[in-house]
Amino acid sequence: MSAAAVEELLARLYTDAVLREKFLYDAERTIADLTLTDNERRAMLEMDRAGLAMAADSYAAKRGQHRSAKAPRWRTIMTRLLRKPE
Amino acid sequence: MAEAGVAVAAVVSLGTKSHENKSHDRVGLAWRDALAGGILANLDQIDVIEVIADEYFHAEARRIRALNTLARQVPLYLHGVAMGLASSIAVPPQRLDAMARLVNSVEPEGWSEHLAFVRAGGVEIGHLAAPPRTDEVIDGTLANVAAAAEVIGALPQLENIATLVLPPASTMDESLWIGRIVRASGAPLLLDLHNLYANALNFNQSPSELLARMPLDRVQSVHLSGGVWIDEPVLSGGQPTAKKRLLDDHIHDVPDDVFVLLAELAARAPQPLTVILERDGVYPPFEHLLRQLARAREALAVGRAQMEIEMQMQRAA
Repeated sequence: MSAAAVEELLARLYTDAVLREKFLYDAERTIADLTLTDNERRAMLEMDRAGLAMAADSYAAKRGQHRSAKAPRWRTIMTRLLRKPE
Repeated sequence: MAEAGVAVAAVVSLGTKSHENKSHDRVGLAWRDALAGGILANLDQIDVIEVIADEYFHAEARRIRALNTLARQVPLYLHGVAMGLASSIAVPPQRLDAMARLVNSVEPEGWSEHLAFVRAGGVEIGHLAAPPRTDEVIDGTLANVAAAAEVIGALPQLENIATLVLPPASTMDESLWIGRIVRASGAPLLLDLHNLYANALNFNQSPSELLARMPLDRVQSVHLSGGVWIDEPVLSGGQPTAKKRLLDDHIHDVPDDVFVLLAELAARAPQPLTVILERDGVYPPFEHLLRQLARAREALAVGRAQMEIEMQMQRAA
C-alpha cells in the first residue's frame, strides 16, 4: 500500500494549498506521521519543490477551467427543470 | 501481472468501420465544439478525428447519435482524460463502464487514455499527474489496463503525459517506465511529441535522445500541440532565478522542433502513424490549423524519405 500512500500524498499536495505551504516550509515535519518507506520519505524530502508549486498551480488552473466549462450545462439543466409545463 | 495484460493483447483495436484504412500515415484533428464548422467543412483534409470521451459520458442520446454518425463518416478515436490508469490504485468501475457504454454506442476505431494518475485517497487532482515511476505503479497500471480492456472490449492506446514536476520516489526514467508498460500490456503507444519535448527540456534532456529511447515500435498514434514557457517560482528562503519550464497548454502553435521530432519518428518507426493536432483554446482561423496539419504531413514525408534512403543504403552495403 505504500505506493498508494505516495500517490495520496501527492494528490493532497497538488490540491491543498495549506498543506503544500507547510510542506514547502518544513517537509520533514509535514510528512512525519505518514506511513512511507525510508526511501519514499527520503524521496519526498528531496522532491523538486519548484516543480511541485508549478504543477499545483497548473492543476488549479485546470480545475478552474473545468468548473467554468461545466457551468453553462448546469444552467441549461436548471433552466429546463424550472421551466413551467405548457 | 504482466500475463493479465498479454491475455488481452490480441484485442488492440475495435476497427469495425468500412472506411478504415490504417495502412498509411494519417493526419487529423482533435474535435472541439468551437472547431466543428471548420472540421465538417474540411473533412477532405482531415483523415481522422479524436473526441474527448469524458465530455460524452453523460451526454443526451441525440449527441451520442451525432457522434456515431460522425464516426461513420471519418475514422474517429475516443480519448479519455480522467481514468487514472497509471496508478497503484484501481480505476473506479463506473469510469470503465462509462467508457464501455460510449464505445459501444459510438463504435469508434479505437480509444485512448493517459499514463497518469488523477485521483488518490478520495482527492481529485483535476488533471493528469505523473505517478512515481516504480515497479509497483507498473503492476497497478497493468492491472488497470487489463481491467479496462476486458470491460471495454479493446486495449487503449496509452499516452505519455507532460509534467512540470519530476515524480518523486521514481526508480526508473520515463522511457523505460513507458516501455515496460506498453510491452507488458500489449497496448499501443500514443506518443505525444509536445509532452515528450516539454519533459525533455524541463529536465535537461535532449528531446531527440529521449525520443530515441522510447519504444518506437509500439507507436500507433501521435499527438502534436504547443505550449508556453513559464517562470519558476521563488520559494520561501530562495532567490529569484531566470529558470523557466515549458507548460503544455494546447493553446499555442506546434513548435518547429516538434515537427522535427515528428520527422525523426517517421524515419525510425516504419509502421503507419496516425497524427492528431490538439488545440484547446485561443483558436486561430481554421486555415491556420489546416496549415499545421499540412506541416505534419510534410514532416512525415521528410521522415519517410529519410527512412527510404537509409534502407537503400543498407541494401547497397
